[in-house]
Amino acid sequence: MDTHNEVLSVSGLHVSYGTKEVLRGIDYNISEREVVAVLGANGSGKSTSLNAISGFVGASSGRIVFNGTDITELAAHKIFRLGVIQVSQARDLFPGLTVEHNLRLGAAVRNREEIEQRLEVVFNYFPRLSERRNQQARSLSGGEQQMVAIGRAVMANPKLLLLDEPSGGLAPQFINEIGDIVQALKDDGATMLMVEQNLSLAFKVADRFIILRDGMVSDGGFVKSLEGNHDEIVRTIYL
Amino acid sequence: MDIFLQLTLSGLSQGAIFALIALSLTVVYRATTIVNFGHGDFVMAGAFFVYVLVIYVELPYVFAAISAVLIMLGMGLGVSRGFIDPIKAGPHIGFAMMSISLGYVLRGGARFLWGREVFPMPRVFDIEPFFIGNLVVTGDVLFISAIVAVFLLIFFFIFYRTTTGVIIQAVYQSERGATLIGVNVRAFHQSMWGVGLAMGALAGILIAPISLLHPDLGATFLIRGFAAMTLGGFGSLGGAVVGGLLLGVAEQLFGFYINSSLQDITAYLIIVAVLVIRPAGLFGRTVTVRV
Repeated sequence: MDTHNEVLSVSGLHVSYGTKEVLRGIDYNISEREVVAVLGANGSGKSTSLNAISGFVGASSGRIVFNGTDITELAAHKIFRLGVIQVSQARDLFPGLTVEHNLRLGAAVRNREEIEQRLEVVFNYFPRLSERRNQQARSLSGGEQQMVAIGRAVMANPKLLLLDEPSGGLAPQFINEIGDIVQALKDDGATMLMVEQNLSLAFKVADRFIILRDGMVSDGGFVKSLEGNHDEIVRTIYL
Repeated sequence: MDIFLQLTLSGLSQGAIFALIALSLTVVYRATTIVNFGHGDFVMAGAFFVYVLVIYVELPYVFAAISAVLIMLGMGLGVSRGFIDPIKAGPHIGFAMMSISLGYVLRGGARFLWGREVFPMPRVFDIEPFFIGNLVVTGDVLFISAIVAVFLLIFFFIFYRTTTGVIIQAVYQSERGATLIGVNVRAFHQSMWGVGLAMGALAGILIAPISLLHPDLGATFLIRGFAAMTLGGFGSLGGAVVGGLLLGVAEQLFGFYINSSLQDITAYLIIVAVLVIRPAGLFGRTVTVRV
């Protein structure tokens, strides 16, 4: 993997929900064109970490810097405009709108001038969505909805794509399909931070991983260095 | 038959005003899940702004009307920013208390300035009535119906046929989803308060020349707006319009064919009947309410 400029730097990040401290001083960074998987058991702070970067939750202390800009205190819509685009765990589609409207809305605020071009790009990644472009999002299967959610994010031409459990709740054939799409995005040069419970998917596409445990980074490294031996990682996460 | 048609026409004209009020309530409700219990008083305020601008500032009615709509648009933004945003972390009932209180403050302010007098608004257009068969179409009916029809056409065109409208629909369906596509949801809420109050002001402005103004006018507007919303289906934009028109016609028909005293309580009867028989109203939809 080519390493390029640092895109994101998270340092000493603390996030609390009320009196419960969910993140307790985590540090990590991502370089351009790199895919980093955030692993950890339920409640370890993985999604909170993504939500803090996106501006959905505020940091109680620490710093998040994106492409040289301190985004720690920025509102979510301003972070979006900088190119940090999240695909949330719940997908958060617009169920009463068509697939095409959902996708177009991804570029409505950012990247409006390239909307037709991006729509073609997304339909190339997801030919199935082209066939369903006039269907309401609520009528799609879970896997197809996940494709719309990723497609909507791709419409915004992200500089950093945050994927929160892209395989969550999907049937095995869709997990493979989503894995292929994430791989295709990587091959096309996307920079991604991915929270994922499915280790085979995570290790298939990620260059590097970090493990969160009780709100702190407990381990991490390059996927290649594992040489396919994931048992130690599973133990680190769950035991 | 002629009387029935005449009453229906008159009812539709009245109903157009109710439709506008119900629609303005719905715009705020759909965007924020807040029922503005002070809305009638904001409608009253819009009418009074026109009165002041026409009588004291001597602006032509059209300019006064546009100014009043803009003033109420600004007031809506200010209400959202100054009084709704700061209490967002509190219980949902706080919004109801706040909207009622703001309404009463406006009403009290109007009473302070004008007492409990009633004020005749000068006639705007002296349009001669004309006949369609035996049906008399007055200038007021024509004026109100035409303005509301044009406004509704523009409103629904924007809502269903433009990118801005699709974004509004999107925010209605998922605020988090909207934030994920870069929408500033807080600013959206503020703008919907502005639009809602401006639309309510338009209703007040249209009704001002054909009725007497007084500070307590808002209560009658509010209950009719609620009745139209309930009949059409709470949260439905199209339903608010249909509900308003049906309420206007029902008031006229009930008042004439059953008893004139029924006219004033038609709105209450409709609310009770709809909630018992068909709580979702004619075009009702399930709306998720934050509590």
